[in-house]
Amino acid sequence: MRKYIEIAKIYIKAQLVWRVDVVFNMVFTITKILFAYLLWGAIFGTKTEVAGFTFYSMLSYYIISTFLNQLDMSSGISNEISAKIRNGTFSKYMTIPVNIEKYFIAMEAGVVAFYLTFDFIAAIVWIYIFKIEFVFTTNFVMIAGALLMILLGLLFMVQLNYYLGLLTLKYQEIGTFLMIKNNIVAFVTGSIVPLVLLPDAFVSVMKLFPFYYVTYLPSMLLIGRYQNEMLIGLIVIFLWCVLLQIVIQVTWKKYRRKYDGVGI
Amino acid sequence: MINRIKKNSRVIRVLIGLRFQNLMMIRLGFFGPFFVDGSLFLIQLVVFQTIYTEVDRIGTWESGEMILYIGTFSMLNAINMLIYFFGVIGIPDKIKSGEMDLYLTKPISPLLRLSFEKINLGSFPLVIMSAFIIVYGISLGNIQLTVEKIVVYIFWMLIMSILYYDLIVIIRSISFFVISNSNITRVEEAGLELCMQLPGIVFYGVYKFIFYCVLPYGILATIPVQSLLGELKVINAIYGIMVVAVFTVITCVIWKRGIRHYNSASS
Repeated sequence: MRKYIEIAKIYIKAQLVWRVDVVFNMVFTITKILFAYLLWGAIFGTKTEVAGFTFYSMLSYYIISTFLNQLDMSSGISNEISAKIRNGTFSKYMTIPVNIEKYFIAMEAGVVAFYLTFDFIAAIVWIYIFKIEFVFTTNFVMIAGALLMILLGLLFMVQLNYYLGLLTLKYQEIGTFLMIKNNIVAFVTGSIVPLVLLPDAFVSVMKLFPFYYVTYLPSMLLIGRYQNEMLIGLIVIFLWCVLLQIVIQVTWKKYRRKYDGVGI
Repeated sequence: MINRIKKNSRVIRVLIGLRFQNLMMIRLGFFGPFFVDGSLFLIQLVVFQTIYTEVDRIGTWESGEMILYIGTFSMLNAINMLIYFFGVIGIPDKIKSGEMDLYLTKPISPLLRLSFEKINLGSFPLVIMSAFIIVYGISLGNIQLTVEKIVVYIFWMLIMSILYYDLIVIIRSISFFVISNSNITRVEEAGLELCMQLPGIVFYGVYKFIFYCVLPYGILATIPVQSLLGELKVINAIYGIMVVAVFTVITCVIWKRGIRHYNSASS
């Protein structure tokens, strides 16, 4: 365990090198908030409530979901694994005395720990600048449940991206697929619009998949809605983590021998 | 002047021919841009269809107008991807690596070659898809078309394609003067992401100033759509042409100064 903590620490330090990137990451969270502010501002100009949201609860939803999206930086994992397999430098991970998947989990933990504070500051700044009457639950159980779900969601996204990266062993070029995946994930996690606006049948199906519980449900819990879905949500996302872990192990066992270490 | 146009046309034809040969060798990911951007705009379509189940209009636009806007933005993006995007995005790397030397030694304009050397036919289905979205928006919005309106709309699409090109080149040309422009391109990404989701009609105050004047992504698809809807005022039309003219001049100035500032591999 100690070596993984060291990996996380190294990645925390590594982020300090890219200070301008940190500032830009903070600043560009404004895009989604501004989108929500202008779009929903125009809509709420004629309505007081949309799908149970008031203007400020809608903006609070976007503030929280944007904060959670910024924390999830795991999409870089699939790109990194894919690139390293293609150019033959993935051998680095095979030769060091660590479990490769745990290495990437520790890496993500380090990056998340670093950005947590900055993203939090960014969220506070946007609340202040846009003069948002921030809606946040005071129910401790909901907060605790949401935090646990966020952790499981981050773990799931690391697993998913790790798995997709490994698929390079078989398919060689997955760059296009990863970009399409990013577009779809942004939609199904509720980052573009809250999923409650979508048709009921679609939402019911989405509840069977993990993406519903990565950003959307935790955000809804934190603005004080859907407490009744919390427990089942925790179970579903946990089961998906277990299932994906099995898939990862099977995939790794099956395709690792295809790696030749010389690059494509 | 005529000789120059003839010469440049010949160069463009040769570049397109070379690109075809190249694409036939590397087929992998040929339709990648179509699938990536196609999925982006289709999701956009679903998002706004969903929002319109809850509200009747956003600003003054109903569902049909908004779909027309998405289709128009998608078409501008498709033209960009089809013709010049993949060539122009390579400018920063060519400056950093010193590869720009090769472009400067050739007897043609480096920017002309960069703009046309990576035409991407894999993006052509995006043009078709965008056309379908536009037609769908027109039929859903019951928009009355006349020949005059269609001609004016096509004119604005061409004008805005030039503006889109200007904006892409300006941002990449900054690499002549700075070590890394990665964060500047993020400004472009943020502006595009916002304006492909929001039509210019919802901007006001400082937001309108930013997205109409400083980073005019807000007018890219808004003005063509307004022209088709018959909502475009003369003053806005003049403003649109002025913005394109000013940004084209800025592009030329920055590019020329950048070339003069270029110090080969040490840039």
